[in-house]
Amino acid sequence: MGRIVLKHVEKRYGKDKQYAVKDFNLEIEDGEFLVMVGGSGCGKSTTLRMIAGLEDITSGELYIGDKLVNHLPPKDRDIAMVFQNYALYPNMNIYENIAFGLRLRKEPKHEIDLSVKSTSRTLEIEQFLDRKPRQLSGGQRQRVALGRAIVRKPSVFLMDEPLSNLDAKLRVQMRTEIIRLHKQLGVTTVYVTHDQVEAMTMGNRIVVMKDGVIQQVDSPRLIYSNPRNMFVASFIGTPPINFIDGKVVETDGGKLQLQTQRSYLAIPDAHAELLRKHGKVNRRVVLGIRCEYAHAEPEMADRHPRSQMTGTLKVAELMGADMYLYVDIGADTPFVVRTTSGFDCREDEKITVTLDMSKALYFDKDTTASLMYE
Amino acid sequence: MAMPLLRKPFRFKRQSRLHRMSRFEKAVVVLLVLFSAFMLLPLVYIFNHALKPYEELFIYPPTIWARSPSLQNFVELFNITSDSVIPVTRYIFNSLTVAVLSVITVTGVSALCAYPLSKHKFPGYKLVFATIMLTLLFAPETVTIPRYLVVSNLGIMNTYWGHILPMVAVPVGVFLMKQFIDQIPNELLESARLDGAREFTVFLRIVVPVILPAVATIGIISFQTAWGNVETSNLFMQDEQMKTFPFFISSLTSNMANNVARQGAAAAAALFMFIPNLIIFLVFQSKVIATMAHSGIK
Ligand SMILES: Nc1ncnc2c1ncn2[C@@H]1O[C@H](COP(=O)(O)OP(=O)(O)OP(=O)(O)O)[C@@H](O)[C@H]1O
Ligand SMILES: [Mg+2]
Repeated sequence: MGRIVLKHVEKRYGKDKQYAVKDFNLEIEDGEFLVMVGGSGCGKSTTLRMIAGLEDITSGELYIGDKLVNHLPPKDRDIAMVFQNYALYPNMNIYENIAFGLRLRKEPKHEIDLSVKSTSRTLEIEQFLDRKPRQLSGGQRQRVALGRAIVRKPSVFLMDEPLSNLDAKLRVQMRTEIIRLHKQLGVTTVYVTHDQVEAMTMGNRIVVMKDGVIQQVDSPRLIYSNPRNMFVASFIGTPPINFIDGKVVETDGGKLQLQTQRSYLAIPDAHAELLRKHGKVNRRVVLGIRCEYAHAEPEMADRHPRSQMTGTLKVAELMGADMYLYVDIGADTPFVVRTTSGFDCREDEKITVTLDMSKALYFDKDTTASLMYE
Repeated sequence: MAMPLLRKPFRFKRQSRLHRMSRFEKAVVVLLVLFSAFMLLPLVYIFNHALKPYEELFIYPPTIWARSPSLQNFVELFNITSDSVIPVTRYIFNSLTVAVLSVITVTGVSALCAYPLSKHKFPGYKLVFATIMLTLLFAPETVTIPRYLVVSNLGIMNTYWGHILPMVAVPVGVFLMKQFIDQIPNELLESARLDGAREFTVFLRIVVPVILPAVATIGIISFQTAWGNVETSNLFMQDEQMKTFPFFISSLTSNMANNVARQGAAAAAALFMFIPNLIIFLVFQSKVIATMAHSGIK
């Protein structure tokens, strides 16, 4: 029913313009919650709007269900969309806003009434039904927008940054609400956001896009732990992943080491095998390591021998339970280490950082592609 | 005494507002009141003039207030035509019909023209819009002859269409409505389309309610134009039956040998001419403000 297939879908706004979306191939399973993330202008909205039928497809094929829908008008695609600015009809009250789509479908009056009432009960907006949209707060408006979408029981939901106009607290609340709704209704949902927390927490799968091209499609866990390239690695995760330039060298014992500006880092055997396979011995690569796998505590040095770097602590940022240390290791950007808030350190002093090299990622310096895949 | 401290000294609301003003603001208020009283003079004059009996109409210097008000002028106005085939009421009926039909067609056509210009951006829409704006530059006199040719070739002389059609194209109306429609977020229309609305439903149910202030404004303008219009009666209506009230009024005095006769009837007619404008303006104006405040377009 709600399966969506995109085959080589491309979009150009105008003949002489650049591609806003390039060679987009994706199968979205029925009932899946798919999140699209990417920087501003990377073509997320464009893709969503093409699925909705609000934007022509320049080339490629789009299927909803088993039907080719390239030329089907939006109203015949059995989809509902939630917009960032809610787009509630200002002249109608909340009841009419929700009922509008049903009325246009000429459903019997009592059924409309039942649907509107039960939908508003699910979303807890019953007490606002006779108000106008402008008399509601942002969060309530977004609920109404959701209600307007679910009342029609479409086979696909499209949401374009629906929570980005809300404050942080409300956003968290609505996030769980949407997840709950998805569990309850099981309707295929494509959700666009540039908020990686939303992406990580909501999606069955995440699509990371850049400049109109898909970078990676995977589960949140895989996207985080095994990104396909440096863009995905740095886009997902706060603070962003640390990159260190280095050269892979072989020791006398036949082991591999990463020679960086200031130190040698031992490469575990599993990674060494992959690096050899990619022919990276004596080549320059980029090592990526997330801040939680870098340690400042001296006792960690015993646990991970030959994986130390020294640097100068520039800034210590206290984030409640955690503390982020920004360490100058002689690179352009500071190296971020996560530690607990109780950690004792002073700014502008020397510090030794221990890396958990078993969690390190390696990237090709030229193509930025991950070397962790075969 | 129970709570003497809580009782505020009694004061009129407005008075307390006056107390909060600086001396300069008070001076401005006084000045503005004087100005508005001055602007009100013609209104008062029209009303009183219509009520003045003949001997008062020609007093020099003219007085503002009628000394012995009477309805004699109105009686005269309705009696003038008693001996002719066409009664005054026919002119008034024609005028009302034309005015109402004009308001409906002008607002409808302007909105229907502005919507695609603003939201559909068909190829060449810029050219179309520029052309519409360009017509603002033409003085009405320059198009009289082409207009005559069009109306005569369409064969709508001596019909209500002859009154209405030349008035339908209102560039200001298109412009104003386009400005309003430009303000409507595209998502609103897209939402409606996803909800299953056809294009005309989108226009009628979403666009029109949001641009009601513009509709009201154009309504006022087109009513006043149509109601006061003599040109179409002059040019396109040879049949006396199809002529409008303002034309009748202008003919009251202009064809007379001396300018004294029928001045009373003219004064009464002037009031008749004026009252619908006033009513329409009051009704629509409050609507304009109400819709502006309540439309809730962000
Ligand atoms: N109507 C349009 N006409 C021309 N170019 C457009 C149009 N809409 C989008 N673009 C271009 O297409 C590209 C992708 O835009 P899109 O709106 O899909 O980005 P996005 O990923 O949704 O970004 P954001 O996170 O800022 O919403 C951008 O470079 C944008 O400039
Ligand atoms: Mg967008």
